[in-house]
Amino acid sequence: MTDEILVRADHISKFFKVAGGRMLHAVEDVSLDIHRGETLGLVGESGCGKSTLGRTMMGIYRPTKGKLYYAGKEVDLSNRKDRIAFSKKAQIVFQDPYASLDPRMTVGSIIQEGMEIHGLYDEQRRRERVAELLDIVGLNREHANRFPHEFSGGQRQRIGIARALAIEPEFIVCDEPISALDVSIQAQVINLLHDLQQKMGLTYLFIAHDLNIVRYISDRIAVMYLGSMVELAQSGELYANTLHPYSKALLSAVPIPDPDLETTKHRQIIEGDVPSPINKPKGCAFSSRCPLACDKCREAAPQLREAAPGHFVACHLVK
Amino acid sequence: MADRVLTIEDLQVSFDTYAGEVQAVRGVSLHVDAGEVLAVVGESGCGKSVTAQTIMKLNPMPPARIKGGRIDLAGHDIVSASEREMQHIRGREVAMIFQDPMTCMNPTTQVGWQVVESVRLHNKISKKDAKEEAVNQLTRVNIPNPRERARQYPHQFSGGMRQRAMIAMALSCKPKLLIADEPTTALDVTIQAQIMDLLSEMKRETNTAIILITHDLGVVAGIADRVAVMYAGKVVETGTTRQIFYENRHPYTRALLGSLPQTDSSKREPLTSIPGTPPDLLNPPKGCGFAARCKHCMQICREELPPEFMTEDGHKACCWLLHPDCPSAEERGDRS
Repeated sequence: MTDEILVRADHISKFFKVAGGRMLHAVEDVSLDIHRGETLGLVGESGCGKSTLGRTMMGIYRPTKGKLYYAGKEVDLSNRKDRIAFSKKAQIVFQDPYASLDPRMTVGSIIQEGMEIHGLYDEQRRRERVAELLDIVGLNREHANRFPHEFSGGQRQRIGIARALAIEPEFIVCDEPISALDVSIQAQVINLLHDLQQKMGLTYLFIAHDLNIVRYISDRIAVMYLGSMVELAQSGELYANTLHPYSKALLSAVPIPDPDLETTKHRQIIEGDVPSPINKPKGCAFSSRCPLACDKCREAAPQLREAAPGHFVACHLVK
Repeated sequence: MADRVLTIEDLQVSFDTYAGEVQAVRGVSLHVDAGEVLAVVGESGCGKSVTAQTIMKLNPMPPARIKGGRIDLAGHDIVSASEREMQHIRGREVAMIFQDPMTCMNPTTQVGWQVVESVRLHNKISKKDAKEEAVNQLTRVNIPNPRERARQYPHQFSGGMRQRAMIAMALSCKPKLLIADEPTTALDVTIQAQIMDLLSEMKRETNTAIILITHDLGVVAGIADRVAVMYAGKVVETGTTRQIFYENRHPYTRALLGSLPQTDSSKREPLTSIPGTPPDLLNPPKGCGFAARCKHCMQICREELPPEFMTEDGHKACCWLLHPDCPSAEERGDRS
């Protein structure tokens, strides 16, 4: 990890139009720096906007408000040239390895497609590159001529990773890459992602809801709730010194696979469900479920600020 | 704990497909007592859900077929029971909650009616009493505004609320056994914690036996009394939760626990993964199902099924390594 900022989200918001002309505020005013070579974990419950943020940061969605910078330069996603140049640098690995591979394409053509789009290499070299990539992700070269349905979930996820690596990107968004996989296979994929990062100096935005895995793989972790970022810190610091009440509840709700620790640990159960992102509560998004919420929390939304060096939190009650 | 609710002996279930016979469950023996939580863990395709569905005879036959074995549920012989008999057993003796509460509820029927459907099937009660009962049931699972909620439809409920309604539905006839098939997999962690709390509370209140099917070992650690680890259609190890987590004896159990990141570990050391994938149950291996992925694999493991080895305190495991004549790790030239 270096100090160079590779991707920067500057006050990014992403709204979707829903029925009745209303707006769904999926991501609201999120600023985030990702350094070259680091793994930034992004956690939160379903519907908190973590996938939307991930997709916005690699250019699948255009932000409604705010700007996206890559290696110091602004990325203008409405400009076709810019967009294509950016997609050469940023790639994504999707959650569902069953839905994200075209069942009518061979594995080879799936991996090649990106190279063709970007006009990289000639025919011969592309085929060699497919074979190399299959080696890198731990599949056989012969697999290039097969179709996705012939593979297991873990193998398909490897194909998805090979596809993302094909055009030698620098930045990869991993959108829940392991949540559809079995425990014993998860470890294989995590180890692979980690090795690739070491070898190629990749930068990851790692989206997941399995907090044990996120803690394991991430350098820094950002916690999101209802479209806003509530806390951001080094992963060790976040677990040792959790500041935001939501992060505390989230971390304490994660079951520990150890009966002694699990049955004796202090758990903080939060009541109720996440409010709808269409009619967001006024003030702090978490105020409707927060055990500590006061009048101020229901009035004004707290800003993200640095509570300790490198540890950012958005809460009125944290001094 | 004396009351045995469920005994399964050497259950074998196969599916007849075009490709051939898939031996999904290859000789499973289990038992559950009243007021006890038995967790069944394993990877997808290991036969844990098929076992559970067979207890209620929910899997369509054909293609499914019970090849052999015995299921005794509170005195009822399930294997030979007719569909008519099963209708009396389901709901009253055994109930099930499923992974995805959205697809398991009828979207066109008010939640309250669905909750008391089984009560009305098994007992004669008036419509008015049934409505009252629905509200009581929803109150029991801590659903706010139960009177209003009973009149709503499933799409108006959030995932966690639906799962609560499912639990109310399952427990409405006070079954002796509750089967929970991945009850929290589709839910977020904060909601998962709420649901697991509700399940243990319900268990204390009603003394229902629970079979919890899951692949989340964290959930198991929190709620289970005993654990059965399944692999390739067989139970490879059973014991109390502490035995499975701290004194496990089967290499698969050990590998499964080892592949989880430790709470205090950072990424500087790689996770111990299990190489390869589970065997294809169309052609199950002759010997131990785990042999191909096991790092302690010996000649005999590939050729013969390991028998069950039991310690005095009821901890069972099927592995040749536990055989008294098994050579020691040094003699086998084992690395670890």
